[in-house]
Amino acid sequence: MTYLTFEQVTKTFQSTAGPIEVVAPFDLTVARGELVVFLGPSGCGKTTLMRMVGGLETPSSGRILLEGTPLTRPDHRRGMVFQSYSSFPWLTVAENVAYGMRYRRDLSAGAKADRAQHYLAVVGLSDFASAYPSRISGGMRQRVAIARTLAAGSEILLMDEPFGALDAQRRETLQLELHKLQEEDARTIIFVTHDVEEAAFLADRVILFTRRPARILAEVEVSRRLGSRRTLATRDSQDFFALRTELLAQVRATAVEEAAA
Amino acid sequence: MAATRRTDLVIGLIACGALFAAWELVAWLGLTSPRFLPAPSQILVALWRMITEQSLLWHAGVSTLRVWTAFLIAAAMAVPIGIMMGSNRIVGAALEPLIDFIRYLPVPALVPLSIIWFGVGEETKIFLLWLGTFFQLVLLVADDVHRVPQEYHEIAATLGAPGWRRLLDVALPAMLPTLVDNMRITLGWCWTYLIIAEIVAADSGLGFVIWQARRYFKTPEVMAGVIAIGVIGLLTDQLVRVLHRRWFSYLRP
Ligand SMILES: Nc1ncnc2c1ncn2[C@@H]1O[C@H](COP(=O)(O)OP(=O)(O)OP(=O)(O)O)[C@@H](O)[C@H]1O
Ligand SMILES: [Mg+2]
Repeated sequence: MTYLTFEQVTKTFQSTAGPIEVVAPFDLTVARGELVVFLGPSGCGKTTLMRMVGGLETPSSGRILLEGTPLTRPDHRRGMVFQSYSSFPWLTVAENVAYGMRYRRDLSAGAKADRAQHYLAVVGLSDFASAYPSRISGGMRQRVAIARTLAAGSEILLMDEPFGALDAQRRETLQLELHKLQEEDARTIIFVTHDVEEAAFLADRVILFTRRPARILAEVEVSRRLGSRRTLATRDSQDFFALRTELLAQVRATAVEEAAA
Repeated sequence: MAATRRTDLVIGLIACGALFAAWELVAWLGLTSPRFLPAPSQILVALWRMITEQSLLWHAGVSTLRVWTAFLIAAAMAVPIGIMMGSNRIVGAALEPLIDFIRYLPVPALVPLSIIWFGVGEETKIFLLWLGTFFQLVLLVADDVHRVPQEYHEIAATLGAPGWRRLLDVALPAMLPTLVDNMRITLGWCWTYLIIAEIVAADSGLGFVIWQARRYFKTPEVMAGVIAIGVIGLLTDQLVRVLHRRWFSYLRP
């Protein structure tokens, strides 16, 4: 059975200047445990698609199905990691992670504490458990957000340019960690980025978008070409280089199209 | 950081000292009449006499009690109402124009109405102080709610928080630092309305003391009264600032 399915999903926003068609009829299936990267020009509707999966927006028409059931309201099975304001400044790192389970009634207090500790360790923040977010680096703050969604038990992680505000070094570290993490407990991840290299390095599959309204321009099966295991060496491989060049060419093509329009 | 703060403090004190020295000199040379501008030393003497002979501290206590009573009533109403206005579009749209209108009514203009409604007792004074605070604070609170980052609400929503828990668990702690800051500012405004409230048939309070002194042209006492209000205001403000720094230390890197 397919896991996550977009069926003819559209989204049109009503604005004072008239309706804005952001997502054109959109179809996609995502397998369980797959890491899909959305790559596309700014303002094409990537965030909107992601928010519809999260239940924060409803499609204007069409449906998004999770294991056959249409998604409507947000719930803990789908967790968001935002680029900014990704953790609560008034809670410590540990409390932020535990917050992921705050509204779950099926876990005892003890189980919640254990899970919080476990996922703190998973993202390597055990030593910073009692620090406040303002006292740790931007990269660590993103790890807090990731640990929170993991602890919440989200099966689908929706990550909207989560590493966009980080410097190259931290970005690379987190990309590697995300990979390791996904290898260990296969969660499904939808990851939005502007960065072609990041897309190529992280993705099992890259979805390239056209300009608004979002349509699929191309799909690239990355894991078929790079394998599913990625290490620092992956970046230096010839396959990676070729893939990156190819993606860049596609992205440039949409940019040229945009300039011409 | 601490060093620059200390330097700032020293500079402030020096400037203040210089101003008072110049003022003292002007008065001492007889360039101004004491009835218009008494020397700082005369004001200090008056202040001391008022404390020892005219129970100034008791009056100050009465005033402080009035200000805090009115302020706490205003805050206890403004916080929930402001949060409702800020989080519910219908409530906001319904109340905002009305509150905005009342906010611009000058408090002194409402003195007669207040006397008709509440007589000349304690209620009128509390009402006038409340009037000057509530309508300002409620709009500030509503605005604070608006400024809670959308992301925080959405994090809570995706983790399954119902609407009211989002307000309680996320919006409230997120806005708390600005809320306390706004309360500090409106508390200061409350003190500025004290004189208006206490010249309405009062027989106690700093406003009354100042007003009495004015009737007999005791300018040093008028100024001493004003200074007493200023000092209490300043101390309260600084106290809240210190508490703010302590409570919300998590905001600082
Ligand atoms: N609530 C809304 N009301 C009206 N228009 C909206 C709304 N949300 C998004 N849009 C518009 O929809 C379009 C797509 O927005 P979206 O944020 O999904 O793009 P994006 O692909 O994530 O862009 P970026 O790469 O810059 O983050 C934009 O033109 C935006 O202005
Ligand atoms: Mg976006």
